[in-house]
Amino acid sequence: MLRMENVSKIYRTELVETHALRNVNLHIKSGEFVSVTGPSGSGKTTFLNLAGALETFEEGDYFLDGQNVKGLSDDRLSEIRNEKIGFIFQSFNLLPDLPLFDNVDVPLRYRGMSTKERKERIEHALETVGLASRMKHLPTQLSGGQQQRVAIARAIAGSPKFLLADEPTGNLDSLMAQQVMELLEDINSKGTTIIMVTHDDQLARRAHRNIQIFDGQVSDIEKAVAKDVMRTA
Amino acid sequence: MFNYNLQLALKSLRDKPSLTFLTILTIAIGLGFYTTVKTMSYQGGQVPLAHKSKNIFLVQMDNREVTAEEVHQSRLVDTTYKDTLNLMAMDLPGVKQTFNWSTYGILNVEDENINPLRTFAAVTSSDFFTMFEPPFIFGNGWDKAIENSGEGVIVISKLMNDQLFGGKNSVGENVRIGTHTLKIIGVLDTWHLTRKFYDRSFSTARPDNFFIPYTFAMENELPRRAGFDCWAGNADISRSFRTENTERLINSECSWVTFWAEIPDDQVESYSQQLHNYIEGQKSLGRFPREILTYVTNLNDQFTYINGRNDFMNVFSLISTLFFAVCLLNAVGIILAKFMRRTKEVSLRRALGAKKKTIIAQHIIEVVIIGFLGGLLGIVVAHYGLLGMMKIALYSSDYTRQLEDLQPLYALDFSMITNAFITGIVCTLVTSIYPIWRLCNTPPASQLKSQ
Repeated sequence: MLRMENVSKIYRTELVETHALRNVNLHIKSGEFVSVTGPSGSGKTTFLNLAGALETFEEGDYFLDGQNVKGLSDDRLSEIRNEKIGFIFQSFNLLPDLPLFDNVDVPLRYRGMSTKERKERIEHALETVGLASRMKHLPTQLSGGQQQRVAIARAIAGSPKFLLADEPTGNLDSLMAQQVMELLEDINSKGTTIIMVTHDDQLARRAHRNIQIFDGQVSDIEKAVAKDVMRTA
Repeated sequence: MFNYNLQLALKSLRDKPSLTFLTILTIAIGLGFYTTVKTMSYQGGQVPLAHKSKNIFLVQMDNREVTAEEVHQSRLVDTTYKDTLNLMAMDLPGVKQTFNWSTYGILNVEDENINPLRTFAAVTSSDFFTMFEPPFIFGNGWDKAIENSGEGVIVISKLMNDQLFGGKNSVGENVRIGTHTLKIIGVLDTWHLTRKFYDRSFSTARPDNFFIPYTFAMENELPRRAGFDCWAGNADISRSFRTENTERLINSECSWVTFWAEIPDDQVESYSQQLHNYIEGQKSLGRFPREILTYVTNLNDQFTYINGRNDFMNVFSLISTLFFAVCLLNAVGIILAKFMRRTKEVSLRRALGAKKKTIIAQHIIEVVIIGFLGGLLGIVVAHYGLLGMMKIALYSSDYTRQLEDLQPLYALDFSMITNAFITGIVCTLVTSIYPIWRLCNTPPASQLKSQ
């Protein structure tokens, strides 16, 4: 489903060359829930950006759903992000002046869906996260946990194969974090592959697999106790 | 996608209404001033008789003495009276010719309650009216038969007709100039000339207030308001030709008559050749001592030259263009600041699947709307700007010019309105390329981590 072979990412300035990721070799199968941990500055977010086709890389190959994304045009990468990936961010990244309905609508608009289909998907996504009754509210009228649920609704509305979550509970208290985590697990249980960056060891342990990143190098740790049967790609 | 981008653009404009208004106002003020000046320049530079201006030619021949200085065409002398009559007598099929000089007089009517009017006038020939096509309200010009008879007829301007006859049809009425009585045969409507070209002054003064046949003027020795370029013994008495010595003037080498010809396209060359042949013939009579030099210049070329030398308008145009550029830079600064505040949103939209071209389209629509509204408001500013400039022109002429004379020179016509719109939109769009380029190049991942 997601395979990286010798992927390296180097940030260059005139004076400094920073190896953010070095020779990453990784294979994540369809339906897995993978947590990514590591200290600050270790390259977790860079890894997530590469996985989400938000950034390009210099070396190696990255196969996403069977397609090598290396060297693809900016337009094609946009299409891949729009169709195959759902993003969940630590700071929610909702558009504050748009109602929930319109926030969830954003990725669907760029896919060119019909009005009817978009409406159905948005309503279903908001229902899934338990906010169907508040679709006309603005994000600022919601709590942090609710905002993150809206972000999850936006991420799943397009039925992506992957969810990439960058510290999705980082801005939430433990109760809300718990709710969000349960929601992600529920989504995963329906077949969506999830890669989640987190600092929280407890949450990391709830994933099928944990990947640790240290100084740009990835060590892939299979969980001893798998919660569920992993689906094959 | 267009509808969605339009919605986003309109929403963005509504988000910060004061900033949006400031941007539009900045463009409007710059564009308004630019359009005001551009309109004045355009209207003031319009070539009269546009439908045949390329066929209306000023005819000049250099009959000066050998020792005379080389001068630019624009300063070359007019035509002598005898050359004028000789050219008029030439058989030139398809060619019309006329000539004129300036005179003045006090117009009187029978009604003693009407004050006499002292005014300037043109002495000319019958083809003046067919060549230059001044608009008539009543009657017509005179024909060759009347001209040859020396009959006292007159064509008066609308202004004269209003003042002397209260605007009624005065054809058939008599007016007196000094001791002479002339019959009115035509009344002109307001004659809009951007410049009074027919007397070669190219001034912005209004056309003359009455027109009389040259035969009558010469026979009755009406005053000649002309600059006489004389030589061969007449230089010292040239001033006297204004009011006396008519016989001597007729036979002199003094140049003072402005000569015009309307020549079809295919005869311009042969006309010049005939002019050349005419001078060759005159040379054998001891005239035209210099190397043959003639100019046959059409109205278009003359106006190109005159407009190019309109320093006031040229400087004014440059200032208005620079001012517009400064306003655009200010507007684009506001747009840039506004767009840069949006990098987080653009970054998010890119992450969620928006292509660069979608982001570009969204912002182009926004900028086009700003340009359109700037153009619209700019036209309103230009309208009032032109009104103000017209009032200034009226004031600076000591109200000797009338509003209806000036209106066409300050009229914002359809072409100028279209021009303002297109200029507003295109300039705003062009100057916004940089802000849009910066914004659409926001990397999708760049702003997503920020709080």
